[in-house]
Amino acid sequence: MATPTPIITLQRLAAALTAFLAAFIWLIFMLPSTALATVNTAEQDPLNSFMWPVYRERFLGDATVVFDERVIVNAPEFAEDSGQVPIELDASELEDSGEPITDIIAWVDLNPIPRLFHYSPMSHGLAKLSLNIRLEQASAVRVAVKQGDTWHVGGTYIEAEGGGCTTPGIAGADNDWENTFGELQGRLFANESEQRLRVRLSHPMDSGLIPSQPAFYVQSFELLDQQGQQVAALDIEASVSANPTLGLHMRPSLEGYVIGARDNNGNRFSIGLQP
Amino acid sequence: MKTRFLAGLALLTTPLAASEPVMFCERPLTAQPIAENTWMVEGLREELSTSNCGHIGNQAFIATPNGTILIDSGSSPHFGEALKTLIAQHSSHPVRWVLNTHHHPDHFFGNAAFDEAEHLTLASTRALMARDREALIDNIERLTGRNLARSHIALPDTIEAGEVTLGSYPLMLYAMSGHSGGDLVIMDHSTDVLFLGDMGFYQRAAATAHSPGLQQWQEELNELRGLNARIAVPGHGPSAPPETVFDQTAHYLAWLDQHLSDVANEGLGANHALAVEIPDAFNTIALTKYEFTRSVVQLYPRYEARLLWGTPQ
Repeated sequence: MATPTPIITLQRLAAALTAFLAAFIWLIFMLPSTALATVNTAEQDPLNSFMWPVYRERFLGDATVVFDERVIVNAPEFAEDSGQVPIELDASELEDSGEPITDIIAWVDLNPIPRLFHYSPMSHGLAKLSLNIRLEQASAVRVAVKQGDTWHVGGTYIEAEGGGCTTPGIAGADNDWENTFGELQGRLFANESEQRLRVRLSHPMDSGLIPSQPAFYVQSFELLDQQGQQVAALDIEASVSANPTLGLHMRPSLEGYVIGARDNNGNRFSIGLQP
Repeated sequence: MKTRFLAGLALLTTPLAASEPVMFCERPLTAQPIAENTWMVEGLREELSTSNCGHIGNQAFIATPNGTILIDSGSSPHFGEALKTLIAQHSSHPVRWVLNTHHHPDHFFGNAAFDEAEHLTLASTRALMARDREALIDNIERLTGRNLARSHIALPDTIEAGEVTLGSYPLMLYAMSGHSGGDLVIMDHSTDVLFLGDMGFYQRAAATAHSPGLQQWQEELNELRGLNARIAVPGHGPSAPPETVFDQTAHYLAWLDQHLSDVANEGLGANHALAVEIPDAFNTIALTKYEFTRSVVQLYPRYEARLLWGTPQ
C-alpha cells in the first residue's frame, strides 16, 4: 500500500522559499537600476539636500546640469565662527579642459539669504575664488560653474558648531566699524601662470534681517585693467561675511589691476594693485 | 544624588581608605597623587560633548592644615559636587579656597559647589569671565546637552599676582595671558609643583581661541622654564616633568605660528592653511586635527591683518 505523499514537504517548502528569495533579491537589485535609467543622473544630489531641486530651478533654470568633481569647493568641516567661514572654489581643471567659463554662481542651501555670489570671469578672471561666508546652520554649500551651455556643480557640507570656549558673538563683534569703514586694502602676488589678488574691504555687510538695522552691504566688485576696461565682475549678497576678504585669481597683466566696489547705498571704493 | 549615596556608603564600609569610586557621567572620577598632599583630577582628552558631560579639563587640590586649596573646578556645578565628594575622600579639610586659572567654562563653572570657599582669580581673568559668561553658558548647555543653573555661575573675587598665603600655606602666583588673555599660573615651592592651567597642554592639542598671540604664549612659556619645578600639571592632559609639557606646547605653537605666517605671506586663503599635512609629532596628540582646524579659522585673519594689511589685531 502506497503511503500518500503529502503535498507540502519540507523539501518543497525550502525550494519554494529559495525561489521566492531569489525573485525578491532580483527585484531589489533590478528596481532601482531600471528606475535610474529613466531619470537624469544629475538629479541625484551627492549632498542629499532637500533644497537642491528648488535652487537648481531658481538659479540654474532649464539648462543642463551635471555634478562634477572638477568643481572643487574647500571649506573647514565645521564652522568655528558661523559669521566667518572661509570657502574656496577651484574649477581650474574644468577650465583647462574645454570652453571658457562664463559664470560661477554659489549658494548656501539653508541660509536665509541663500545666494552668495555671481562671478563673471570675463576676459581675465580664472575659475578660482576664495571668500568668507555666513552660515546660519549646518548646510550644503554649492558652486555652479557654467561652461558652454552646461552648469557643472560642486559643493561641500559644513557643520555649524563652534567649540566650547569660542565666543564668536563677542570676539567677532565689531562695534566701531565706522572708524575703518570703506578701507580697501589689497596685495598682488604674481607667478608665471597667474596674479593672485588678496583684497579686504572694511564694511559691516548688514543683511537687513536684524530688526532696526537696515540692509547695508557691498553688492559688487569689478576688476578693471589699467585702461579702465572691465575684465571681471563679482556680485555678492549679504551672506558674504562682514569685511569681505576676497582671493581673486587673474591672468598675468603687466600693469596689474584696479579693483572697484560699490555698496547698496551708492558708496564706491577702489584700489589699484601692481605686480 | 546617586554619587553622594555611593560615596556615603563607601565611607560607612571603609571609613579610612574610601575605595568606592565617585562616579561622574557614568564614569569613575579619580584623584591621582602627584606630590605630598597634592592630587590632580585629569579630564578626558576630548572636546565638550554629551557623552563626557563636560569633564574635559583638569583640576588639582592641595590639602593644607587650614583647609584645602582647589585649582579649577570643572565645567558645571553638577561636576563640582562630584569633585567635592572626591576631595573629601583624600583630604579631611574642606575646600576653603578655589583658584581659577582662566575664564574658560571647563575651569570655573564648578565653583558653585564650593559655596563656603573663597573663589579667587586675576582681575584680568575676572573681566574676561564677565565679558564671556553668557556666551560660554550657552556653549556648555548646547554641547553637553545639560541645563546649567545659570544664576549659579558666579564670578570669583580677584587676587593679585605675587606671593600669597592661603591660611598658612604659601603659593607664588604669576599673571600671564598667552592662552586666554588672563592666565593664572601657580607655583607651589613646598612641593615644586607648577600648576599651568591652559598655558600648558600635554597629549591634548592646544586651544587658541582667545590667545593674544602665539608668539606671546611661547615667550611666557620660556619665562616659566626658569622656575625649576619638579612636576607640571597642565590644564589638559596628564602631569609630566615641566620641560616635557613646555616643549610639546611650545613646539606645536611654533609650528602653527610659522605655518600661518607662511600661507598668509603667499597671499593664499585659510583653506590653503587647512590643507597642510600635520607633522607626525603632533598627530599622536589627542584632538590635533580638530584644534588645528579651529585655530586656523580663528587666527588666519589676524595673520593676514598683520602680514598683509599692516594692522596688528
